Amino acid sequence: MTNSMNEALKAIEIFNPMVEEIDERQVKVSVGNDKLVSVLETLKSKGYSHLSLITCVDWIDDGQLELVYILFSWQDGGKFIVTTRIDRNNPKFVTVKEIWPVARFYERELHEFFGVEFEGNDDMKPLFLELWDEMPPLRKDFDPREYSKSKFPDRKYEKDVIKEAKIFRGEIDG
Amino acid sequence: MKERTVWEQIADQLRSRSIWMLHYCTGCGAMELPPTMTARFDMERFGIMPMATPRQADILLITGYLNTKTLRRVIYTYEQMADPKYVIGFGSCTINGGIYYDSYSTINRLDYYIPVDVYIAGCMPRPEAILEAFQYLMEKIRKGEADGWKRYKENYEWYKQNQIRSLGEVYVHDEFHE
Ligand code: SF4
Repeated sequence: MTNSMNEALKAIEIFNPMVEEIDERQVKVSVGNDKLVSVLETLKSKGYSHLSLITCVDWIDDGQLELVYILFSWQDGGKFIVTTRIDRNNPKFVTVKEIWPVARFYERELHEFFGVEFEGNDDMKPLFLELWDEMPPLRKDFDPREYSKSKFPDRKYEKDVIKEAKIFRGEIDG
Repeated sequence: MKERTVWEQIADQLRSRSIWMLHYCTGCGAMELPPTMTARFDMERFGIMPMATPRQADILLITGYLNTKTLRRVIYTYEQMADPKYVIGFGSCTINGGIYYDSYSTINRLDYYIPVDVYIAGCMPRPEAILEAFQYLMEKIRKGEADGWKRYKENYEWYKQNQIRSLGEVYVHDEFHE
């Protein structure tokens, strides 16, 4: 861990996070729902001011969604991965678009692909999908194969064993 | 197929010698086009040129996977092109879905939505394969067999119905332009 990472970790100690060192420049910090925004703000003031990504992991067996915020520092290239878990059946969280305006696009994306609502961000139009008519597609209980079968017809192939054998023997040109 | 008149036969001969290509590069296959166009494989020696607008293009080259969003744009583009027009499906994704066969948003076969004259198999096909396909297409044009654009007109209902089935609606809604 770099020095500035140690410093930043000290600053967020009061929120009692669960810290996991992934490698020299990456640290994962898991915190409670109510602490997350304060942790992000503290880290931002400590130099981790670039929000690289907001994403989500579906822990279907635990009935939880894990929101993942990745912060990057331009001073030493360190990365903080700040996560929190929310209820899967009532996926609601607060927006961070006041801290990073760009977050509203990530939040729109998460709303589209995982069905997470962000309070305070009311622009929740679909970002990538057009005319989507099913449950959010990146949830683990969505079956893309079934959906693909019902919407996009496959090509039918007929197997010609004799021809294949002839090609295999080199009698005809495949 | 109807017999071609002499004039049509001559026109087809000439057409096959000067085909301009609009490449719809949404798939990974677009990576193989720069070497095909530039000095290494130099497709201009066959009279094939890249073209930036659909109205002036003869060939629509679809380089790989299409999802529902891009398929809408492809249909727009295809319908904007002037007759005669030809479509080349490039890579296994256009043939049977390729590695995206079970994806929630990519289509599985292109000829279900617009007529395809030549397919190039492979993931992704080499520039040699592209040139081979172009030669094959030129041969087909000369013989008058590349009639995808006629089939599209004759079976318009069928194509439209397939498009609606997979897309719901072909009309493009775009938040940045409305
Ligand atoms: S066929 Fe292969 S290379 Fe081409 S678009 Fe599909 S996955 Fe990409």
